Amino acid sequence: MTVDDATVFVIDDDEAVRDSVSLLLESAGYRVRTYESGRLFLEEAASLPFGCAVIDVRMPDIDGLELQDALRARGIDIPIVIMTGHGDVPMAVRAMRAGAVDFVEKPFADHVILDSVKRALALARERQRQAAQLAAIRCRVEALTPREREVMDQLVLGHPNKVIAARLNISPRTVEIHRARVMEKMQARSLSELVRMALAIGVVPE
Amino acid sequence: MPSDQTDSRLRAIIETSVDGIVIIDTKGLIRLYNPACERLFGYAVHEVLGRNVSMLMPEPYCSEHDGYIRRYLHTGEKRMIGIGREVPGRRKDGTVFPMHLSVGEGEENGERIFVGIVRDLTSQREMNTALQQREAHLRSIIETAPDALIVIDERGLIDSFSPAAERLFGYSAAEVLGRNVSMLMPSPHRELHDSYIRRYLETGEKRIIGIGRVVVGLRKDGTTFPMELAVGEVNSAGRRQFTGFVRDLTEHQKSQKRLQELQNELIHVARLSELGQMASALAHELNQPLTAISNYLQAGRRIMSMSGGDVAKLSEIMEKATVQSNRAGQIIRRLRQFVEKGESERHVENLNKVVEEATALALVGAKELGVKPSLELDPSYRRVLIDKIQVQQVVLNLVRNAIEAVATCERREVVVITGVEDGMAIVRVRDTGPGLAKEVQDNLFQPFVTTKPKGMGLGLSICRSIVEAQGGRLWATPNPDHGVTFSFTLPLAEKEGDDGG
Repeated sequence: MTVDDATVFVIDDDEAVRDSVSLLLESAGYRVRTYESGRLFLEEAASLPFGCAVIDVRMPDIDGLELQDALRARGIDIPIVIMTGHGDVPMAVRAMRAGAVDFVEKPFADHVILDSVKRALALARERQRQAAQLAAIRCRVEALTPREREVMDQLVLGHPNKVIAARLNISPRTVEIHRARVMEKMQARSLSELVRMALAIGVVPE
Repeated sequence: MPSDQTDSRLRAIIETSVDGIVIIDTKGLIRLYNPACERLFGYAVHEVLGRNVSMLMPEPYCSEHDGYIRRYLHTGEKRMIGIGREVPGRRKDGTVFPMHLSVGEGEENGERIFVGIVRDLTSQREMNTALQQREAHLRSIIETAPDALIVIDERGLIDSFSPAAERLFGYSAAEVLGRNVSMLMPSPHRELHDSYIRRYLETGEKRIIGIGRVVVGLRKDGTTFPMELAVGEVNSAGRRQFTGFVRDLTEHQKSQKRLQELQNELIHVARLSELGQMASALAHELNQPLTAISNYLQAGRRIMSMSGGDVAKLSEIMEKATVQSNRAGQIIRRLRQFVEKGESERHVENLNKVVEEATALALVGAKELGVKPSLELDPSYRRVLIDKIQVQQVVLNLVRNAIEAVATCERREVVVITGVEDGMAIVRVRDTGPGLAKEVQDNLFQPFVTTKPKGMGLGLSICRSIVEAQGGRLWATPNPDHGVTFSFTLPLAEKEGDDGG
């Protein structure tokens, strides 16, 4: 039984903790994969299915913070929940600064870890949605003709049709036609939406 | 017998006599003066012949001697003749000495003569004086010595009871003289003492004479006290006596006990401080099973609340939770034993088990440091006579030191080894750390010497006290390649000999 296609990756060197966290998450309907070290997790990190990671902060070899850094260094943007023991709060704070979604102190009530995981997955989903959106926008930009692209750049820079016509050495009427095509292809309902899309994918010209 | 033969015999006797022989006439003039006299008085024969014998006496005898002779000739009352007595003599150099003088009376050519035989008493007198002095000396020692002196005869009856003995046992000498010395000891010695003496007299086997041992004494008021007893034997004029020197050990044992208590307290404090330093690691170690238990139970509840909860699955989860709570219990048990104060008690223990347990405790937190300790245990599983907790404290301390030493090194190996060497059990803790700095090496076991920023420098010095108190030795040797090995020995239980009873 799974609520969605998300997977929770549990990384802890203590077998009992690993197993019990996994069981708890499974009982809440999550698909779980466990790893007994950060190294093993990193080996698979590049090709992970959608999900979030629950990482113990204190581990031999690579500890939780080092694992977080290593993931970021590889461009793997997976939301992370940190598990800490007594007295590890300063480490947890450092983990939060480095971008962890949350930290839970062991031992924890089920709703605490489940809430954190839920938050992390929501974030993952949001990031997934954003990524998909950006991909779509890029795709649309790809679909523009060179002239349409030129017109979009000028629009994003905020120039009125007349200025664009002068700059591109075409008639204002032609500008208008291209502009309509751009708005249609980019699926932008307004100029401000078009600007937002351009900014999001970083195609704003100088 | 012809008279000339008698003469020559007499002459020989007079010449060779060790005693001085002087013959005087009724006027007191010296007629004969033998060589012994020459030696005795320092005058040569020619210096005295014909002179008054009073020259050989000090005053007042010197002036009165003629009167003595006159009175005797007049009254016939013998004050000296045939009696003999001790009188002073006077040498040529004026010195006076004690001598024994016996006087006899005779006749020579119809004239009365007196024969005096003189024996020098100087050396005898000196001997007597020395003897008296020695006796006085001995008596003063006996009277004032803090140790009590009791002399008994071969029946065990008390011949002498010194003032210190009176103070110690509470009896006056008058109360105990002539009574059996067994009255000063509690059972079973009280009943057996006579047989002890008998056995010694029969077999000559010395169990206490010349050896001494600590025994228990019984005071008049019925209280007992520890005492050190040394017994000597005197054999004089066919009489055998035994002299016992008794030292009260009450104070000694009290201070020993107090010292032991303080030592134990220090050891306990060190143990607590050691654990204090491990507190965070221990909390973590406990937290793991607690977390797992909590998770298993919550997962179980969730599964139960779902319709058609899987009973087999639930049972498996319960089992897992139980295992984890045992794991937590184990940690706490180890800890509790360690924290408990307890008197220092020695028991026969399995060395491997003791070392294994202590190492397990020391390994708390070691995993995070990436240290992999290993055990190489003696396959013969020897038993030792030790205070288990204190020895575990030593192992814990040494293993934790080793873990700390290797934590920052490339090679992070710690090996704990048990074995037997030269009739002693031995435990070694070998690490691959940076080794010991020269300046530390020399006073490694001194208190307050430390290389740790937060250390008190008491750990190793306490370890050494512990090991030495159990009859072992603790030392450190650098390894040929990396790091250092700490070793300590402990007495094997198998070797435990006769307890001396």
